[in-house]
Amino acid sequence: MASLRYDGISGTMKPAQFDYAVPNTVEEAARLLAESNGDGKIIAGGQSLMPMINFRLVKPSILIDVNRIAGLNRIELVGKRVRIGATVRHHQTASDPLIAKHLPVVHDAMQHVAHVTVRNRGTFCGSVAHADPAAEMPMVTRFLDGTIIALSIRGERRIPAADFFVGSLVNSLEPDEMVLAVEIDVMPDEAGWGFEEFAKRHGDFALAAFAATLRMDNGRARDVRIGMMGVGEVPLRLPEIEEILEETELSQAVLQAVAEKLNDILTPNTDIHASADYRRHLSGVLAKRALRSAWVRAGGRKEATNG
Amino acid sequence: MTDHQHPAELRPKMVGTRVKRTEDPRLLAGMGQYVDDMSPAGTLHVALRRSDQPHARILKIDVGEAFSVPGVVAIYDISDIEGEIKPAIPTSRLPGYYATPNWPLARGKVRYVGEPVVAVVAESRYAAEDALEHINIQYDPLPFAIRQVDAVKDDAPLLHEEAGTNTIIRREFKRGDVDAAFEEAAVIVKGRFRMTRKTAVAMENRSYLAEWDGRKQSLTLHTSSGSPGIIRDVLSSCLDLPGTRLRVVAPDVGGSFGAKGSLYPEEMLVCVLARKLKRPVKFISDRLEDLSATSQAFDELIEAELAVTSNGMLIGLKADVIGDVGAYSIYPWTAALETVQVVSFLPGPYRMEHYRGRIRGVLTPKPPTGPYRGVGRPSSTFAMERLVEMAARELNMDPVEFRRKNLVRAEEFPYRTASGIIWDKSAFQECLEGACEKADYAALVRQRDAARREGRWVGIGLASYAELTGIGSRISVAPGMPINTGTETSKIEIDATGAITASFGISSHGQGLETTLAQVIVDELGCKLEDIQVRHGDSALVPMSSGTYASRSAVLGGGAATLAARVVKGKVLRAAAFLMEQNVDDLDIRDGIIASRQSNLTMTLKEVASAVYTQMGRIPREQREDLTASETYDPYLGTACSSTHLAMVEIDPETYGVEIRRYVVAEDCGKIINPMIVDGQVHGAVAQGIGAALLEEIIHDDNGQAVAASLADYLVPVAGTVPNISIVHIEADLPNNVGGFRGMGEGGTIGAPAAIANAVSDALAHLGVSVETLPITPERIFQLLRDKALAGQPIQTPT
Ligand SMILES: Cc1cc2nc3c(=O)[nH]c(=O)nc-3n(C[C@H](O)[C@H](O)[C@H](O)COP(=O)(O)OP(=O)(O)OC[C@H]3O[C@@H](n4cnc5c(N)ncnc54)[C@H](O)[C@@H]3O)c2cc1C
Repeated sequence: MASLRYDGISGTMKPAQFDYAVPNTVEEAARLLAESNGDGKIIAGGQSLMPMINFRLVKPSILIDVNRIAGLNRIELVGKRVRIGATVRHHQTASDPLIAKHLPVVHDAMQHVAHVTVRNRGTFCGSVAHADPAAEMPMVTRFLDGTIIALSIRGERRIPAADFFVGSLVNSLEPDEMVLAVEIDVMPDEAGWGFEEFAKRHGDFALAAFAATLRMDNGRARDVRIGMMGVGEVPLRLPEIEEILEETELSQAVLQAVAEKLNDILTPNTDIHASADYRRHLSGVLAKRALRSAWVRAGGRKEATNG
Repeated sequence: MTDHQHPAELRPKMVGTRVKRTEDPRLLAGMGQYVDDMSPAGTLHVALRRSDQPHARILKIDVGEAFSVPGVVAIYDISDIEGEIKPAIPTSRLPGYYATPNWPLARGKVRYVGEPVVAVVAESRYAAEDALEHINIQYDPLPFAIRQVDAVKDDAPLLHEEAGTNTIIRREFKRGDVDAAFEEAAVIVKGRFRMTRKTAVAMENRSYLAEWDGRKQSLTLHTSSGSPGIIRDVLSSCLDLPGTRLRVVAPDVGGSFGAKGSLYPEEMLVCVLARKLKRPVKFISDRLEDLSATSQAFDELIEAELAVTSNGMLIGLKADVIGDVGAYSIYPWTAALETVQVVSFLPGPYRMEHYRGRIRGVLTPKPPTGPYRGVGRPSSTFAMERLVEMAARELNMDPVEFRRKNLVRAEEFPYRTASGIIWDKSAFQECLEGACEKADYAALVRQRDAARREGRWVGIGLASYAELTGIGSRISVAPGMPINTGTETSKIEIDATGAITASFGISSHGQGLETTLAQVIVDELGCKLEDIQVRHGDSALVPMSSGTYASRSAVLGGGAATLAARVVKGKVLRAAAFLMEQNVDDLDIRDGIIASRQSNLTMTLKEVASAVYTQMGRIPREQREDLTASETYDPYLGTACSSTHLAMVEIDPETYGVEIRRYVVAEDCGKIINPMIVDGQVHGAVAQGIGAALLEEIIHDDNGQAVAASLADYLVPVAGTVPNISIVHIEADLPNNVGGFRGMGEGGTIGAPAAIANAVSDALAHLGVSVETLPITPERIFQLLRDKALAGQPIQTPT
């Protein structure tokens, strides 16, 4: 275990003092995390953690770097699930053929994540652990009902996404648990999907984003899943919207009903980038666009949406 | 082959050539040396506790256990150092002005969130930051007015009681009978324009390192400044050190955009601490400190009205402006720099007989405003060019035709504007034509109209402006400021090896002046580019200098270089004439080779230098001259640099996202020294202007807190935001200065906000809304439409 201290280092990176460990196995990482008594932090890509450390918003006693643990950097098909390991980078997820084939909505979402340098370091699991309500990875994990595989010295635990995201930047991991992987069920081949996001600059965190997957059955939408981000304290799955769409034929009237419902149920924040009202407006716009794409991809007639 | 046989005029020149920047190999290979790259042995590091209050009396500073942190050397507030330094007073000749004293640390009160209060000095920055956490400052919060409309009121809480008012700047420009003009007018358009607060966001944050030399009792400050000469002069009096014992050096500097051209508290602080502690002292600001304590820009509220005749002639302009200058008047430029220029430049490049423009600059508890690329003119051009397009629309006239009618015409130069600025002859009309031709304006209008028929929101906007550049000693760069900004010195020395050192007082920080000034010298002196070393950014090089800012370095530095090179060339040729036994009039020098028209004798510069300096007796004592010259250039007045920008934008009718589809700049910067560098300056400045137009905004909430505290909140343009920019260089009549150059470093930021605001307004015109606040964000478009009860309604199709 190497130890970094600030003595003699000049420059302007200025976190509080911490120890630094580079374990080679997940067991060792779990052990170090347990030994830190809740003061340790896993570091993966560092793209969210380092700024927080430099601002001294967090002052971990030890950073446990998982980047050198072999085998965590894979995206695999495990039965009917896609498994994304703890050191899979954003650029990898964005260009992975398994993801593109089995989780095309994730593939689309990834195109909106950050910029090249951030994508080369940031990890899917790190983003999920970070639980930013305006980040794509938590959103897709949540609305596709993914599972977070957590590891501690006490063993593995499978946490459904619905129970994982508890608040803005708050997850339900125990202090001694780390994320080993995220698993997401493959989408049925015939499913249609749509992902729409708006940010002031491409690659920024979204002011709002809307995702939909659905299947077509006799000209009607089935198994509709709706997710949103940037408009709440956590990434959202929206059963109220799914209900409106389930077993309907997509039409202008249905889309309008969706937009109105969103306007009723969403309680986004007002911040310096956008007001709550604008975010609600945007949600309706993005919903219509994403639903039209999902509908067409699922084999629905285009005309149906023009009515 | 024998180029030097051609008459001088026909030879290829360096000036006008796309020479690759000679500074780039070191900068691109990571071998640049910035302040933070310097770490002399024993360096101490400073971390600052900054105010978290907008306006409060400092009651008590409790350092707690701070000294228990290993490595902490000292902790100071102003009372520990005020006997060792005098404040910097930014004086001005403007009547009614109040010069706020500028100290290194807050004294008695704090006046903005981010103001430095306590300095911790430690062996490392980490230790200093650790110690900061122990320090507790007790404040007695004072009332404050954070918005300029409140701060300007008579009963507003005072930020500087000594001033007796918050309104420390007042200025009015008047010409003709503006009220009569408005009575006659067929059309009057008006608006309430606001370019919100910005900051420059240079890639390198502000950085300072002061070293005390106990042996020589002297101080050297390395600073990321664009104006080391000004800093030397002011610190000399603040620290009571003569120039012989105080040297200020700007090494490689990673951008300034105006913001690094002023004196900063931290700059004073490291000097006083280095002298006190007798050790090198370094301060490097981080991005949060940069966003909260580097000078900021604009923030005027401009209420303006334009009077126009029925055939589209501008006849009168009225403006009432409140400038929000922040908590201090910045040294040396004063709070008048930005504010007064807004009203003096407001009439723009147009014929305007009747004008009344009034500015009030008010103190508010925010970081001081200061120079920012374009100074005053981005705001004034935004307001004026909006009014111009509003008037054209009102009259149903094409905005290009409208401008053509009103821009000062060739035969009217020199033209004296309503505020007294003199425009020398520049390509006002030609830039308008050039931009339209390059963009194929007629085709663009057809494209826009076709897009509109499909329901798309597409708009075209223009902006024409002129700025005064390369200003000489007759006019101060900052209105009323007593410091001379009108001269520059160039010292050219050929040494005994034949190598040429050209020293300047200017201070290049990204502009490529090492290359362009060398190009000028090559043509004048007849040497090779690689034989010249350009030195700059060091107060020890020339007796007095004020630095690089205000689009002056090519004009003043280039002018001084021309004069000095001519003198040195004369000396070289006289020595060569003697050595070659030729008539001096028959000699010329090119590529470092002196040749005679009367014989095929040649001599190299190196041979001449050797003969002059090292070979005893080759030149008789009375004829021997050192191959050196130092010349100071003063263009006396300034020269106009004019330009027209044209932008086409498309707005998503549902998300209100704005995309720039086409961007064209036509500009007249006189003789172009290096077209590649000019293009780079235009591209960079337009990108900066796009940021101002669409993204960037420093926001203080009602509690006076700065809420855009990181680059995730203060959004600067990135590669994806910036479109291709086409540039047309128009080299019309050359200005009447030594080199024929006009300054062009700032133009892009002046034209882009206005052109984009006009394009967005054009795209939204069918909805009856007009852009009056920048940046025009999706949120602001949403609000504009909502106020008209149009947001979220089925998409309106433009007609
Ligand atoms: C300029 C910029 C732009 C960005 N834009 C976007 C964007 O558009 N969309 C977006 O979604 N994100 C964006 N991000 C964030 C980026 O995606 C981060 O990489 C991601 O949020 C965190 O992943 P990481 O691997 O870097 O995690 P780290 O920064 O290393 O860690 C983040 C947090 O997660 C914890 N953590 C990490 N890995 C594990 C693990 N295996 N087990 C338990 N805890 C763990 C850490 O302890 C820490 O608390 C941006 C970041 C930057 C700097």
